[in-house]
Amino acid sequence: MGITLNALTRSLSVFHLAASPCNNCDIEILDCLTPKYDLERFGIQLIGSIRHADALLVTGSVNRKAAERLKLLYEQAPKPCVVIAIGGCACSGIMFRDNYNFAGPVDRLVPVDIYIPGCPPKPEAMIAGVAKLIAKVRGEKA
Amino acid sequence: MRLALELILFPGFAFCALAGMVLSWLDRKVTARVQWRVGPPLLQPVYDLVKLLGKETIVPRDAFVFLAAPLIGLAGVTLVGLLVGQATLRPDLQTWGDLIAVAYLLTMLPLGTIIGAAASRNPLASLGASREMKLVLAYELPFILALAVAVIKADYALSLGEILKVQWRDGIAASSLSGTLALLIAVLVTQAKLGLVPFDMAEAETEIMGGTTIEYSGAPLAVIKLTKMMLLFVMPALVATLFLGGLRLDAGAYGVGMGALKVLALAVVATLIRNTNPRVRIDQALRFFWGPVAILGFVAVVCATLGY
Amino acid sequence: MSMPLTGFADRFKTRALAWEEKRARRLYVEIRPSDLLETANYLYKDCGCRFVIATATDIVTAITVLYHFAHDASGVMVNIRVTLDRDKPAVESLTQLFVGAEWIEREMWELLGITFIHHPGLKHLLLPDDWPNGVHPLRQDFRQDELPPPCPGRGAEENR
Repeated sequence: MGITLNALTRSLSVFHLAASPCNNCDIEILDCLTPKYDLERFGIQLIGSIRHADALLVTGSVNRKAAERLKLLYEQAPKPCVVIAIGGCACSGIMFRDNYNFAGPVDRLVPVDIYIPGCPPKPEAMIAGVAKLIAKVRGEKA
Repeated sequence: MRLALELILFPGFAFCALAGMVLSWLDRKVTARVQWRVGPPLLQPVYDLVKLLGKETIVPRDAFVFLAAPLIGLAGVTLVGLLVGQATLRPDLQTWGDLIAVAYLLTMLPLGTIIGAAASRNPLASLGASREMKLVLAYELPFILALAVAVIKADYALSLGEILKVQWRDGIAASSLSGTLALLIAVLVTQAKLGLVPFDMAEAETEIMGGTTIEYSGAPLAVIKLTKMMLLFVMPALVATLFLGGLRLDAGAYGVGMGALKVLALAVVATLIRNTNPRVRIDQALRFFWGPVAILGFVAVVCATLGY
Repeated sequence: MSMPLTGFADRFKTRALAWEEKRARRLYVEIRPSDLLETANYLYKDCGCRFVIATATDIVTAITVLYHFAHDASGVMVNIRVTLDRDKPAVESLTQLFVGAEWIEREMWELLGITFIHHPGLKHLLLPDDWPNGVHPLRQDFRQDELPPPCPGRGAEENR
């Protein structure tokens, strides 16, 4: 595996993309950056611009307005970029699947690399998901 | 020939880049410790830069200016590192006026930032560029006053090497009243030049989504990040040379150790200021630098002329 | 009922269609749609209440709109209900009194079809701009299969 891809797994810049969530998953994502879980020791940091993103953290059941923006943002992120679907809504839409405003789930619109279910998923679940993602990118067994 | 080797290896580009990466790791580690976290491993800046080299570079329409702008900043910072390093290695070489050259070369970084942001064709980038312009206007005045104090204290010598030699003979500049005031001003100006909180409104992460660097990706972004890391070494080195006596090679290992400690201490001070302050607005920064800090600068210059 | 709102009771109790002091600080009042502006104006300007939010429901026989006002000093909440005709629901817009009602009235219009007279601009808030006209999702007779499909996906049958 290339040296730059290896460096990518050790220094992930995440972009938080909230596609009409209830914000519970967003709060849990922020929890991961607090001192108790401290994701920065793995090199993961939150960045502001989509052009700096290595990972898209997508939360929320994507509604019609957010669907166009999600596709646009995925195109704007420089590749290689991984997509992480966080929460039950992003993975499959759960109870909102038949809603009039539902335009998701996320993998209908952009390719997803890792699914982290939960409503909301605990920070431990998210860290486990990111660890599996890193193992998958490096080609190791999860 | 020797100049080319010095420019590229030591004390030029390679040395400044390495020292900058170590100091940037130290900055993140101290920040993490202050926040009761663990912080990233030592090689983290290397991972960040290598990762960026593997990402695709997306450019707007005016690609040439967009891609060339970060290189302007890199060139400026490398040259300042070279000048400070040469003055430390060979202070007897009377390179007249290299302090003036340093002051001019240090403005190449904000210039590159502003041009690059303007070439980004993004409204948030132009907002960041306008803030960067105002910030440079704000801190250049107190910076020149602090440099003036250093010059006056060194018997009106404009060469970095001469300033160092006078300090080794008479005691460091910061041991006098005007020198202490000028050191204080220099620390504040360093904070603004480095673009660290409380003066990071040009690249405000959560507010304007990256500001001046919003459209950069891949290798140009790696150049920008590397330039910022190098400045984190070069600015404290400059301030240590002007006000704290720099690195004294003829004092042997003790001199080298003390010199490194001075640079380290200034970098840690910048980090601690960064961790204990909120971000200020650009008009507050302007009022701050042209108000209290500039007045302090004038007082320092007057004291220095009077001999205090 | 707390002191500042006794003036409200004196002026409007006789004109109200229903008046219930459900608990110590909860007042439920039903009024005619034509009285809405005067009631809201009195509550906002003279009693000093804060407009919290408005809610609307399609009960099968009619469409009701509830306006919730809070008197923060005493903790009293006044809920005003107007009942509108189901076929052409229309009521005066509260943006004539305070700007804060603009967005909630846009939302009530797009989800239930209530027309707000003298509203500065009734356009979509939560639904996309190309939503079909006259289709209001929270109505009881809303049929989902009348909707156009959402934006196209990426077309891959399986992920990556």
